[in-house]
Amino acid sequence: MLIQFVLVAILLGALLMTWKRAKQNVISFGEAFAWSVLWIGAGVVVLLPQTTTLVANFFGVGRGSDFVLYAAVVTLFVLIFKIFISLDRMERNLTEMVRKEALRDLPEQHE
Amino acid sequence: MRIIAVIPAYNEEKRIAETIEKLQPLVDGIIVVDDGSLDKTADAAKAAGAIVLRHALNRGQGAGLRTGTEAALRLGADIIVHIDADGQHDPSFIPALVEPIKAGEADVVFGSRFMGLAPVNMPLRRKMLLRGARLFNTFAVGIPNTVTDPQSGLRAFKASAAEKIDFKQDRMAHTSEILRLATRSDLRWKEVPVEVRYTADTLAKGQFGGGPFRIVWQLFLGMFNK
Repeated sequence: MLIQFVLVAILLGALLMTWKRAKQNVISFGEAFAWSVLWIGAGVVVLLPQTTTLVANFFGVGRGSDFVLYAAVVTLFVLIFKIFISLDRMERNLTEMVRKEALRDLPEQHE
Repeated sequence: MRIIAVIPAYNEEKRIAETIEKLQPLVDGIIVVDDGSLDKTADAAKAAGAIVLRHALNRGQGAGLRTGTEAALRLGADIIVHIDADGQHDPSFIPALVEPIKAGEADVVFGSRFMGLAPVNMPLRRKMLLRGARLFNTFAVGIPNTVTDPQSGLRAFKASAAEKIDFKQDRMAHTSEILRLATRSDLRWKEVPVEVRYTADTLAKGQFGGGPFRIVWQLFLGMFNK
């Protein structure tokens, strides 16, 4: 199927790029390995969609493609929440800077 | 005892001078934190005789109070009073507010709108929101339900207590955060009755301006950023 062909081509490209970057020492060997596992895993899911059913059944979900969708929603939720938290941290750091600036000219007057 | 009042102010050029004038006879120093106002709040406050600190960007009421509190500690305050800029708090309640600290009975004193003195012109919607906030504070935030006012903006700290209460919420959630930190520490806290006056002006900028859900959300996010 065309969609499989396109997806596998993209994933192969990603795999090649990952190892090219590893050779250039942009990412570490461990990172390259982790990414490779992700790309190859995605390739397996694309070429043999029925494998997802195995995993899905393990989690009690009937159909493989449903399971992929559920997993994607959960993953996105976690990622977005992490962004919220890091934004909150950035806001606090910003406040800290603004505060330092506001207090800079205040004379020390401790008794 | 040196009492310093901290007033966070955002676009309050019209009301800040009157608030400062009313406060002056009751405290030993007034710090106005101009929270990135777009109007002449800083100039008006300076002209009225307050020490003015300026946030270069608007960071919220909680952030302003924190900056002012740190400044008050540096200036050698024994008691620090938090008060709103918009005149909804009657400054004549300040002696009653600081009295328990002076007498050595408490380290933190909160002004409560629900202890006998009826708030003037408090709308029903606000009353119901505050009742809901009290329930939320008890069950979700863990503030004892003996605290009668969940969102009081008028409070006084002994200097040592102000150093201890490490509040980090920049916006409106600081009220709940301070209550939680104070009531869960070994600090002695107390509520005293105060009267609050609601006008169309003050309501427009009230505690729930940002919406109660935003406060809940900020408290929730705050749990992950210690």
